[in-house]
Amino acid sequence: MPVDDVLERIRAQMNLEAEREHEVLEEIRGHLEDAVAAGRERGLDDDAALAEAVARFGVEQVGEELQATHEGWGVMEGIAAAAIPVLCALVLRWLVFDPAGTFSGWQQVVSRPAFWLIAVAGLVIPALRFPRRRYALASWAIFWSLSVIMIVGGAVQR
Amino acid sequence: MDRAVNDNKPSSDSIDQMRKGTTTLAILKLLLDTGEPMHGYLMIQELEARSRGIFAFNEGLIYPRLHQMEHDGLLRSRWEGEPGTRRRKVYVVTEKGRRQLEAEMEQWETFRRGMRLLLGLEGAA
Repeated sequence: MPVDDVLERIRAQMNLEAEREHEVLEEIRGHLEDAVAAGRERGLDDDAALAEAVARFGVEQVGEELQATHEGWGVMEGIAAAAIPVLCALVLRWLVFDPAGTFSGWQQVVSRPAFWLIAVAGLVIPALRFPRRRYALASWAIFWSLSVIMIVGGAVQR
Repeated sequence: MDRAVNDNKPSSDSIDQMRKGTTTLAILKLLLDTGEPMHGYLMIQELEARSRGIFAFNEGLIYPRLHQMEHDGLLRSRWEGEPGTRRRKVYVVTEKGRRQLEAEMEQWETFRRGMRLLLGLEGAA
């Protein structure tokens, strides 16, 4: 029974986001490989070493616990991912740009410290919040897209 | 005779319950004592060795706990090793984890003192 088969048994009990699931299983793969190597050093053959590693690991229970632990994290990240750029865009729109929704004085906006503060916060907050950088970059891109839409949309309506 | 002796031993269930409540404390203490990033397998070996085998459990159960601790901001992780080689996810304690350990150590000491008094193992000061 290769390590991949054991990982498949664990995977069967989980229903996580693909990338998170991959990371979890890679971590477990490392654990099982270390445990098998330790068994071999004690003189066990490959099958016996893996069987021992699997028994000590507690495959069935671990899959359920991992699912229970990770359940709902994606939802919370999704809510945060949606909320952060929207909030930043609103703050930028109403506090830094002209609240009346015109372009008046937009050249001066970039010289205001508040503009740069919000621009940096729009990147740093998601970078600290999310373990993956691309989430932070995606959040930042959404923030700027929303900002442009709101500012241009407001100006056009005028 | 053996039966009588066994009846007086703590059951594995009660040790299990105590262990579950103290795993976070044990992991934080281990990581701070060693001062080195550690992966799950190594932590289990160290915890078993430190507790002289009492702290033995299904090894895989350390991972849900590590992930929860990381999610709670007590630990930070990173991958070590190049892609394509044997890679390991290692953990270190954050500042929040350090504060949590201090608080939990204090609570543990209070609990331990209270239980010793309750069980008559220690005279009231």
